[in-house]
Amino acid sequence: MSLIDIGWAPDDDLSPLVVLVAALVILGWCALLAVELRRTARARLALAASGALAAVALLAAALRPVEVRERTSRVGPRVLVLVDGSRRLLLPSGAATRRDRALTAARAVVGAWGGARPRVLSFGAGTPAPLSLDGAPRAASELPPESDLAVAIAAMRGDPAERPAAVVVVSDGRLAAPAPEAGEEELRAALRGVDVPIHTVRVLEQSPADASVRRVRAVGAAVAHQRFALEVQVGCVGVDCAAVPVTVRELRAGSEPSVLATGVARASGGSATVQFDVVLERAGVRVVEVALEAPSGDTIPGNDRRLIPFAVARDRLRLLHVAGRPTYDVRALRAWLEADESVDMVAFFILRETGDDPDAEDDELALIPFPVDELFTDHLPGFDAVILQDFDAVEYRLARHLEGLARYVEQGGGLILVGGPSAFAGGGYPGSALERVLPVAVPELEPPYDGVPAAPLVTASGRATPVLRRLLELEGEALAPWPGFNRVGAARPGALVLLEHPTQRVGTEGMPVLALGEARDGRAIALASDATHGLGFGERAAESAGRGHGLLWDGLLGWLMRDPRFEAASVAVVGDCVAGEPARLRVVGAPGLSGEVTLRVERLAPDRAPVERRAVVREGAAVEIDVGALEAGGYTARASVGAAPPARFDFACELGGDAWADSRAAPDLLERMARASGGRSVTAAEAATLPEPAAQRVTAERSVRPLAPPWVWALLAAAALGAHHVVRRRAGLA
Amino acid sequence: MSGRPDPGRRLALAALATLALPAPASAQGSGAFQCRLLSTGGIRPSGVRASGAARWAWEVSRRTSAPTRMVRSVVRADQRALLAEPFALWSGSDAIPPLTGAERRGLERFLRMGGMLVVDDSAPAEGAFSRSVRAELAQVLSEAVPVQLEPNHVLYKSFYIVERPVGRVAGPERIDAIVRGGTAQVLFLQHDLLGALAREPAGGWALDVTPGGARQRQLAIRFAVNITLYLLCSDYKDDQVHAKWILQRRARARR
Repeated sequence: MSLIDIGWAPDDDLSPLVVLVAALVILGWCALLAVELRRTARARLALAASGALAAVALLAAALRPVEVRERTSRVGPRVLVLVDGSRRLLLPSGAATRRDRALTAARAVVGAWGGARPRVLSFGAGTPAPLSLDGAPRAASELPPESDLAVAIAAMRGDPAERPAAVVVVSDGRLAAPAPEAGEEELRAALRGVDVPIHTVRVLEQSPADASVRRVRAVGAAVAHQRFALEVQVGCVGVDCAAVPVTVRELRAGSEPSVLATGVARASGGSATVQFDVVLERAGVRVVEVALEAPSGDTIPGNDRRLIPFAVARDRLRLLHVAGRPTYDVRALRAWLEADESVDMVAFFILRETGDDPDAEDDELALIPFPVDELFTDHLPGFDAVILQDFDAVEYRLARHLEGLARYVEQGGGLILVGGPSAFAGGGYPGSALERVLPVAVPELEPPYDGVPAAPLVTASGRATPVLRRLLELEGEALAPWPGFNRVGAARPGALVLLEHPTQRVGTEGMPVLALGEARDGRAIALASDATHGLGFGERAAESAGRGHGLLWDGLLGWLMRDPRFEAASVAVVGDCVAGEPARLRVVGAPGLSGEVTLRVERLAPDRAPVERRAVVREGAAVEIDVGALEAGGYTARASVGAAPPARFDFACELGGDAWADSRAAPDLLERMARASGGRSVTAAEAATLPEPAAQRVTAERSVRPLAPPWVWALLAAAALGAHHVVRRRAGLA
Repeated sequence: MSGRPDPGRRLALAALATLALPAPASAQGSGAFQCRLLSTGGIRPSGVRASGAARWAWEVSRRTSAPTRMVRSVVRADQRALLAEPFALWSGSDAIPPLTGAERRGLERFLRMGGMLVVDDSAPAEGAFSRSVRAELAQVLSEAVPVQLEPNHVLYKSFYIVERPVGRVAGPERIDAIVRGGTAQVLFLQHDLLGALAREPAGGWALDVTPGGARQRQLAIRFAVNITLYLLCSDYKDDQVHAKWILQRRARARR
C-alpha cells in the first residue's frame, strides 16, 4: 500500500551552511529586538509583532521554502535468523535432536514474522552459510564441531548488504565464542557494532543427565617409549559421579586393545580431572581410546568415550642388533647404524660358540653372557626394531622367545631377519612362531645356505617401491653378483618381493631374496643373504664410493619405521570421520608412482573383515575414495599403489567427538546476550512470540514545488522590514 | 636341526684349513675373515712368516665364532682385488721401494672406503720397514697423522682383555695408528706379530719368541684375535652393556 507524505523544506539549492547562517542572522535579529523592547515603554506589542513578522519574512526570503510531496510504501523488515549449525546440536533431546528443535523454532520465527524478510543462516566455525529450513539435512561430517557466534557477528558487520532490523539467534548456548563463561565485557565486545536488537531462542532450558569425557589433553608431546601425561576431564551433570572408572587403551590391528592406564574420576562441582602417565611404544599415528564407565542415569552414551589419534614422535630409533657371529656383513651394518645419530643401538654379537676354545680363563676374556631371556622379555617392547643377523635361534636359546618376538611384531614392532648360514632354515626358524610374521615361508631345506654367487634380480615391486629407488638410481638394475643366499620358501600372501634369485625357484616364482611384509601392527623384512656389505666395500662398490650399502639400509629401516619418504602413498581423511556417515580418504601417490590404488580399511580390533576399494591415481595427484559408513572405532587404512608396498594410515571415527564432549546447555548466555543488545530471549516453544520489527518506509516518488517565486519572498521581507521601521520610530527608537 | 653349524663341524673345517683347503662357502657365509698379505713394489711376501696368515685365521676360527678362510692369500696394492675384502696385512723387514702411482691409488681407495691395514714390522729393531711404510702412507693419506692408541682402546678388549701388544718380540707397550672417523684404520706394529704365528711346514712354531715363553706366544695370538674382532665388530666392546663387566674383570686380573 502506498501513502503520500507532504512536507515543507528550504529550497534544495541551499547548502546546510547557508541555512545555518540564515538561522544565526535571524537569531541575532531576535536578540536585538529583545534589547529594543527593554529600552522603550511605548507600543511594545506592536514593536514585537512587527519585529517578529520581519524576522519570519527575512527567513523566508533567505530559505525560499518549497513544498515536498513523497509517495512512500511500507516493506517488511530485513531480519537475520542465525541457527546454530554445529554437530553438537545432533545430540539427542527427547525423541528428537537439538537440531530438530532449533529448526522448528526457526520455522516458528519465520512463520510468525510474516511481514518480515528473513535471511536464515547456519553459523558454525566460520562465515555463516545459507540454511534451508525445509531442505535435506547436511551430513554430520560436514557440520562444524563448534559454534562460533562471534565470527558470525563479525561477518554480519562486514556484509555490505542491507542491514537487518533484528537478529535472532537459535542455539543451545554452548558456544565457542562468546563462551558461556564470558563476562559482561567480553560479551559486549563480541556484540560490538551490532546496533539492532539480538533476540535469542533457547533450544534447551535444562542440561541432560550426562557423564562424558569432556576433554583429553596430552601434557607435552607424545614421544615413543617416553612417559607422558594425559589429562582427562570428566564432566558430570545430573548423575552420580562420585567414582567413575576411566580406562585408557591403545587400539591395535588384529588384537584386543592394550590397556595403558586406568583410574577413577571423582567429580565435584560437575567435573573431575584425572591425570594418567602413559607410554606409547610405537611411533607414528596411534589411536588411543579414553572411556569412562557411565554411572546409571547417563542419557548420552555417545560421549562416554573418545578416540584420539596421537601422532607419536620418535626422538631416536631404538634398535636391537643381534648377530650370531662377527662377519664383514655385521661390520658393515654396525658401522652404518653407528654413523646414524638418530639410532640408539643396543648390540649383542655372539663372539664365542660352545665349541670354541679361547684358551683362556673367563676373567681374561672381555665376553659377557648373552642375556637372551632378559632381552626378549622385559626389554623387547622398548625397542622400535630388532635386527637378527645370521643368528641361530636354537643354539642361542632364542627359540623359546620366538612366539614373543612374533607378538612384538604384531603389536607394532619392526623386524629384519638378515641372512647367513645360521639364519632362516639354518637357524631353527622353520615351523617357528616367527614364521607367521615373516614375509617369506621358511621350510626345512638342505643345504639351508647356497654359496653360489649370483646377481639378484629386481622385481616389479622392487622397481616400484621408494625403498630401493635410490639404490637402483645409483647402481642400476643390474646388481653385482652376491656371494651367497639363504634358501627360503615362497612369499607370504600380502608380502612383496623386491629382489629375487635369478635361478633358484620356489614353484614358478624366483626365490625371494628381499621381501617386505606387514603383520598386523608391525612390519617385517626378510633379507635372505649376508652379502649386502658388498654394496659398501668391494670392487663394484668402489665405483659408487660404497654408498649403495647405506642407501639400501636407509630404505629398509626407513620403510620398517614408516618413514614417509619410503611410503608408496600418503593417506588422509577428508574432513572428519563421523561414525555412521560416509567417510572419504584421500590418497596421494609418491613421486614416480601411478596406477591402480587398492585401499584396504580395517578396524583396529580382532578379526574384522576389511573394506576394500580400488581407484586410479595419477602421479602426484590425489584421488578421493569413498569407504562407506564406518562405525565408531579406530581404523587402519593401507593403500597400495601398483606393485609397491602398502602405505599405512591410522585414524579414528567418533560418534560425536569434540562436538558432543560437553552436552550442557547454556540458556543463561543467550539471555544475557539478548539483554545486552536490547532484544528478548525466549524458549523454543515461545519462538513465535518474539516482537517483529517495524516495517520500513520506502520512498517511491518525490516532487518539490516552490511555495512562491523568490521575488515574492523578497518583496514580503522588504515590506515587513519597512513596517517594523515605522513602528520603531513611533515607539521613539532611533 | 639340520643346516645349523655344529662345533665338531667347525673344528673339522679348521683342521682341513691347515692343509690349505678352503672351507665350503655354505659353512662360512660371504663375510668370513681372511688374513690377506699385501704386496707392493713387486715384492711378494714369502718365507716362513707367510704361513702366519693362515695360522692367524685358524686361531681366530678356533677361539671365536668369527668365520674365517684359512688360505694363503696375497694381494697386490695395485690390484682391484685389494677391494674384495676390508683387511690386509703389510709385513716386511726392510725398507720398501717407493710405491707406484697405481699402488698409491689402490691403497688410498682401500683406506678411504673403510679398509683396515695392519703394518707389521718383522725387524722392529732396525725399523727400516716401519719408517718407509709410514713415509709412503703419509703421501697416501696426507691428512692423517699416526697417533698412539690409548691404553683403554677397544683393541685391547675386543675379545681378550690384554694389557699391551705382543708379537714375536715384546716391542713397545703402545701402538701407533692412523685413526679416521673414530676407527683405527692403520695399525703400526713393531712386534713381528706374523712371526709369532708362523708355522713350520711340518708343524710347530717356526720362530722363537723373545724374550720367550709359551705365555708370550699365547698373548701374541690373543692380540691377533683382538685385531680381527676389532676389525669385525669395531667398538662393540665399548658399548655400555659391556663396560661394567670388563672393568670388573680388569680389576680382578690386576689383583
